[in-house]
Amino acid sequence: MILVLRSLSKTFETGQHRVQALSDVTLEVAEGECMAIVGESGSGKSTLANVVLGLYPPTSGEITFEGEPLPAQRTLAHRQAIQLVQQNPASALNPRRSVAASLRLALDVHGIGEPRKRRARVEELLGDVGLDPSYATRAPAALSGGQRQRVAIARALACESRLVVLDEPTSALDVLVQAQVLRLLDELRTKRNLTYLFITHDLAVVRNIATRVAVFQKGRMVEIGPTETIFSAPSHSYTRSLISAVPVVTPEEFAMRERLGGRS
Amino acid sequence: MSVLAIRDLTLSFRLWSGPVEVLHGISLSIARGERVALVGESGSGKSVTARIVLGLLQDQSGARIGGRVEFQGRNLSGMSARERRALRGRDISMIFQDPTSSLNPVFRIGGQFREVLARATPGISDTKARATATGLLEEVAIHDPARVLDSYPFQLSGGMNQRVMIAMALANRPSLLLADEPGTALDVTVQAQTLDLMRTLVDDHGTSVLFISHNLGVVREFADRVYVIYRGRIVEEGPTRAVFEHPGHPYTRALMAAQPNLTGGGLPRIPERDPSFLAPLVVHGDRT
Repeated sequence: MILVLRSLSKTFETGQHRVQALSDVTLEVAEGECMAIVGESGSGKSTLANVVLGLYPPTSGEITFEGEPLPAQRTLAHRQAIQLVQQNPASALNPRRSVAASLRLALDVHGIGEPRKRRARVEELLGDVGLDPSYATRAPAALSGGQRQRVAIARALACESRLVVLDEPTSALDVLVQAQVLRLLDELRTKRNLTYLFITHDLAVVRNIATRVAVFQKGRMVEIGPTETIFSAPSHSYTRSLISAVPVVTPEEFAMRERLGGRS
Repeated sequence: MSVLAIRDLTLSFRLWSGPVEVLHGISLSIARGERVALVGESGSGKSVTARIVLGLLQDQSGARIGGRVEFQGRNLSGMSARERRALRGRDISMIFQDPTSSLNPVFRIGGQFREVLARATPGISDTKARATATGLLEEVAIHDPARVLDSYPFQLSGGMNQRVMIAMALANRPSLLLADEPGTALDVTVQAQTLDLMRTLVDDHGTSVLFISHNLGVVREFADRVYVIYRGRIVEEGPTRAVFEHPGHPYTRALMAAQPNLTGGGLPRIPERDPSFLAPLVVHGDRT
């Protein structure tokens, strides 16, 4: 198990208000998996991502990464191993920095490779995410949304990370662009044996990219299982209502929704 | 007669770097009570089309509009800014993607509702406005209208705000409703309820709808007829079923194939751009 969450809880308190964002979540993720964390707004899925990334500590519970407990204060090595790809690539990249400079910074900060070989490494990384080396000198503003997201993915790869937290990585993209970025992510995972924590609300995407799915509702994990099982035989009523609510296109999908009992 | 008829609409913006063509002559029509979707990706020109229909781009310097937009047989381009303004909120209304930012955060819902009603009934009394608003909120399945009217938008959920927006948009019984990605900012379960509600209401009132979306699933479920727009050109049009079951244009086919399927099937290999996407218009029969 590359990542283990044990009885993880997170409570936010502001004056009178107490919000239990995560309650008692236990989850094991194997190396090479694409684990989807699914839920609506307020389900706790983003809190889970942020706790795993170490942006804030859990209120209680424990996180183990590659067999070692993860401390609240992460070391540089931890930050290198666990990387994030955000929803909006436009705000995830420094607008004043060229693509090459953004990637180079990741290599420099984490001291990856010999300094004189880093320029060549940046070109390799661009190739890995399907971008021409000529993009290296461009500013993020001169790229399309899909290309920017490819740069953000390249940056996560630059760190030679083992676990990548993907927070709605394609929901800001057009459907044709989304299809390509999802393909790229899928290929990179198998090629490099990466582990993904895929945070999303889009069940159709999950169906086609995840190996397992965990469904969250109001901070609790209500169902978990292999992708096939979750979609063919969801057992929790919330999972069923979530799947039934997805607007669908094909006759097979309409039939599936009918089978799940239609819309509530 | 069509409620809305657009013929050869062109739009270009003059920028310091030269003119940018946004719409290359699009034509579309909406009959009374018809729900028509304009589907396309970002930058395809779908939202600017709605803005022209609403009369918001005509007054903008730098925007050059050609072709004809007729609303109930009247040419919008021939109208004065004042005449166009008179249509907005009364005969033509609009629902935007993000309900919470469409409402004014510093006024209660009740006051904002009164302003909408005053567009059609100038000088409407507070009591009358409140009574009407209460009825309209009940129509969108809000069970405690009094509390909602006394709330500020930030005190309500996104789904609740979107219902308020729908109630406001339909308050003056417009003949045309423009809906730009309604529900995209909402959770799927709330989105499904919102769309069901919107469909029932426009059916009851015989409102025509121009529904703008990039979400094929939502379009499939909501629209009677579909126009597919790609880079400022309509590439395919027809009844929803025909377009979805027999997409004829290479771009439409790519869109359908790229849509991840809830029943699985993997991730397709589709080009982001292709010369075939600029192929000529495909029109399906059985036009109403």
